[in-house]
Amino acid sequence: MKRGLVIALALVLFAVLVPGVFAQKITVWCWDPNFNGYSMKQAALVYNKTHPNVQIDIVDVAQDIEAKISAGLQAGGAGLPDIALFQDFRIEQFLHDYPDGFVDLKAAGVDYSKFAAYKVGPMTVGSHIYGIPFDTGSTGLWLRTDYMKQAGLNPDSYAGKKMKWAEVVNLGVTIKAKTGQPLLSYQSDNFDMLRIVVQSTGGQFFKPDGSLNLRSDAFKKSLALFKELNDKGLLYPVVGWSDWINSINSDKAAGFLNAIWMVGTVKSRPENAGKYMIVPTPLIEGVSGAANASNNGGSSWYVFASSPNKAAAVDFLKSVWATATPDTLAFYNTILKGAGAMGTFLPSQAGSNYTAKDEFFYKSQPVYKDFAGWMANVPVLKYTPNYQPMRDAVAHAMLKYFQGQIATVDDTIAAAEAEYKQVMGQ
Amino acid sequence: MTNSAFRAWSPARILMWLVLLVCAAMSIFPFYWILNGTTLNPNDVLKGVLAPGRDFLNNWKLATTAYNLPLYFTNSLVIALGTVIFGVGINALAAFGFEKYRSRARDRVFGLLLLTLILPQIAIVIPMFKMFSFFKLLNTRLAIALPSVMSVFIIFFLRQNFKLFPTEIMEAARVDGASELSIFANIVAPSMRASFASAAIYMFIAQWNSYLWPLIAALNDAVKTLPIAMASIMYAYTIQYGALMVVVAISTLPVLILFLTMQKQFVAGLLGSVK
Amino acid sequence: MALRGTYERYLNRFGWFCVAPSVLFFGVFLAYPILSSLYYVTRRWKGATNTFIGLGNFVRMAHDSIFLQALGHNFIFMAIQVPIMIFLALLLAVLLNQGIRSFRGAMRLAIFLPSVTSLVVVSVLFRALLQENGLFNNLMIGSHLISAPIGWLNNSFWAKVTIMLAITWRWTGYNMVFFLVGLQSLDSQIFEAAEVDGASRARQFFSITVPLLVPIILFSAVTSTSGTMQLIEEPNILTFQGGPANGTMTAALYIYRQAFFVNFDFGYSTAMSYVVVLIAGILAFIQIRLLGGERATR
Repeated sequence: MKRGLVIALALVLFAVLVPGVFAQKITVWCWDPNFNGYSMKQAALVYNKTHPNVQIDIVDVAQDIEAKISAGLQAGGAGLPDIALFQDFRIEQFLHDYPDGFVDLKAAGVDYSKFAAYKVGPMTVGSHIYGIPFDTGSTGLWLRTDYMKQAGLNPDSYAGKKMKWAEVVNLGVTIKAKTGQPLLSYQSDNFDMLRIVVQSTGGQFFKPDGSLNLRSDAFKKSLALFKELNDKGLLYPVVGWSDWINSINSDKAAGFLNAIWMVGTVKSRPENAGKYMIVPTPLIEGVSGAANASNNGGSSWYVFASSPNKAAAVDFLKSVWATATPDTLAFYNTILKGAGAMGTFLPSQAGSNYTAKDEFFYKSQPVYKDFAGWMANVPVLKYTPNYQPMRDAVAHAMLKYFQGQIATVDDTIAAAEAEYKQVMGQ
Repeated sequence: MTNSAFRAWSPARILMWLVLLVCAAMSIFPFYWILNGTTLNPNDVLKGVLAPGRDFLNNWKLATTAYNLPLYFTNSLVIALGTVIFGVGINALAAFGFEKYRSRARDRVFGLLLLTLILPQIAIVIPMFKMFSFFKLLNTRLAIALPSVMSVFIIFFLRQNFKLFPTEIMEAARVDGASELSIFANIVAPSMRASFASAAIYMFIAQWNSYLWPLIAALNDAVKTLPIAMASIMYAYTIQYGALMVVVAISTLPVLILFLTMQKQFVAGLLGSVK
Repeated sequence: MALRGTYERYLNRFGWFCVAPSVLFFGVFLAYPILSSLYYVTRRWKGATNTFIGLGNFVRMAHDSIFLQALGHNFIFMAIQVPIMIFLALLLAVLLNQGIRSFRGAMRLAIFLPSVTSLVVVSVLFRALLQENGLFNNLMIGSHLISAPIGWLNNSFWAKVTIMLAITWRWTGYNMVFFLVGLQSLDSQIFEAAEVDGASRARQFFSITVPLLVPIILFSAVTSTSGTMQLIEEPNILTFQGGPANGTMTAALYIYRQAFFVNFDFGYSTAMSYVVVLIAGILAFIQIRLLGGERATR
């Protein structure tokens, strides 16, 4: 009797252990519920108006998204969603490593002349084009006007000002002296801030032949600048993205340097209302080609070839993200103000929010107009399949430089190059 | 005890109590901190506010909706229970076979098994990933459970315990015409309940807390166990620390309860290895 | 005679029947993976393709300073944390066993409690407690032990300390239980005799307790060092991907990242895991020889 029970229980468990069969739906992986997750949700709403029977599941996959996707591709598609978001700087590696892993959307009829050309580059392999471009990463210097006022400064005299980094350092020193707040909160295990500065000069991290290009004047000057910021106590370092977000939303610094897509995160905390002002990316002096503008991030949507719902997934992306209808244009307009998602679908850029004021920001700054204006001056960054290892190697070397384990800019560069080669097995 | 020096409140005795109290306090404090954290908003969790807050319901709601807590809990439970039920069965049978039906060949096999005890898990997971991938079994609960069903440690532990069972009783049963299987099922196994309980607890906890293989074998949320879910929450772009504390508390609770209610078997399972 | 032979064959067959399921599992989930790794170790993966490179992975490893550095971290944790923890566990066990009479059970329970948590939970806990503006720093500043917050997670020295703190918290009580059982099995007359001879407490501890507990200390040392060799949860979650700047990168984490995070190069990772297996084996061998000889192996 008792034994029968145990056997029955074992059989039930066995049945549960074997995977269940799911109803048909489109699953999308992305990583920021305040930003790309939010945007995808809006897109799903639009699509469901005409396709009420398609269920679109949006899953927040966090920073190991690429690892999980690689594992799934290695395992012949196991566990993969139908659609995933990829950083533009990561996708080249995937298209290169898994040539049969993704659906060719050009062949599926997407008109790429309607998208910003620089977004299409990384997703193109020969005559195939694989992605649907999502957002741009036009950057600015985000400043907390409440701390500026506390420090006896008038935020208005900085509004829209195209500053040089020397001025920014002075601003930071004043704020630090008067309020004790460091100027910029930054993620020490990530090189986004350095990349923003290097890129504002038009500098590239790779040469056209694919080899590293860290010995440029722009790179050296940028590193030296960060060391100065660090040594003057103007940086608030945190480890990991979530802790960085947390530092911003718990008032650990008087600002940060990052892209338009931070709008959603900043807005997710009501206390931030009226406090932030965004000024142009500061200029790095003495480097030819330097501008008061830069780009950070930017990502695009891809459909997996292993997806059983390929057709539905492609239709969804195509009809909401790549077709101009009143509904889709309204959708692009919504995600711009809702999350700072500035689409790269050219017909959408006549939307009203592109010029509208946003009352969430200091003195209702028309932030989208400003970001779009700065974007016009951004030189295009070229990625390679090996961008990610370079990024880690540089971040690691930079941190060692800040903490005094490496003494000079040149040694820092040498350390980054060495780590890159080791990780790549070169 | 004859330690008269320690009877009076000598400085040595005070120091000793101090050491013990500080260690005990440091051991327990994080448990309070987790429980308290389930009632706080994310900022207060990080600041380390020690007084209870009011966000418990909110955190609970977030944990069960945004974080899929019920799914992860079910996955963890099903996988751990499955491992225990099949695991204790086949490991006990093997331990019985190795101990009570000794032959040179089986002793050699047992030696081979023992050799793999020191093998670091990281050395096995890579080929195992390829193997499960080949059989299209990755990202299933079965894939997460299977590799830990057979445990050399548990076989070793149970074998030590079978040693204590007098072989004469088995002989007597044989004379009475009992089959070997019924000897195991009706005579030996019932007297080994305590050892089986220890083995079951040990296996349950090992699987419940397991990290590396589930991390590799679980490719999406559908099959994630609690440790893997917590690990990915820590990798998320925004961590809801309050809700995370709820997940942490829920994932610690079953083991805590097991420990507090079955301390004896719990510790016996630990100690099995030093006998 | 013939009958007896048949009967023994029957018993023998039953013996195989008993061990068969486990041996089958062993074959599929241990032996086969180990054998098939011999194939992987000679190849280099790049995405969906792989090529034969012979011993190339080992050559690459010899020049990979991150891997060597990661192994170095394993040894640092081993050399510093394991002795501290074993000493602490031993001390607590002796205090509980001989020092106090009241609250003994409650104290033992309390100190053992961290052992029920998963390593992921430990990592989450310490990551939150050791934030720059977290509880730990606040308490230390509040009690004037330090004047500025310590970058527990930001600085590669402190990050190593952080990891060791976390491991010590998690495992001290666990090891203590072994020592307690060992102590209880010792003959109390030895201590009484030592007391009569006027041996100090410290003297008793080092001259009697420790030598008598050698087999158990050995066991703790072997399991702890092999655990340290496999460290992965803590550096991956607590100090975030072995950070800062690979400052807490361990061998197992680097192998995991090379295989399942960065390059998906199964060949190179397998080669590195061979080295870890070799080291784990050598360490176990040395410890058994050094500390216990034949006696300690039971």
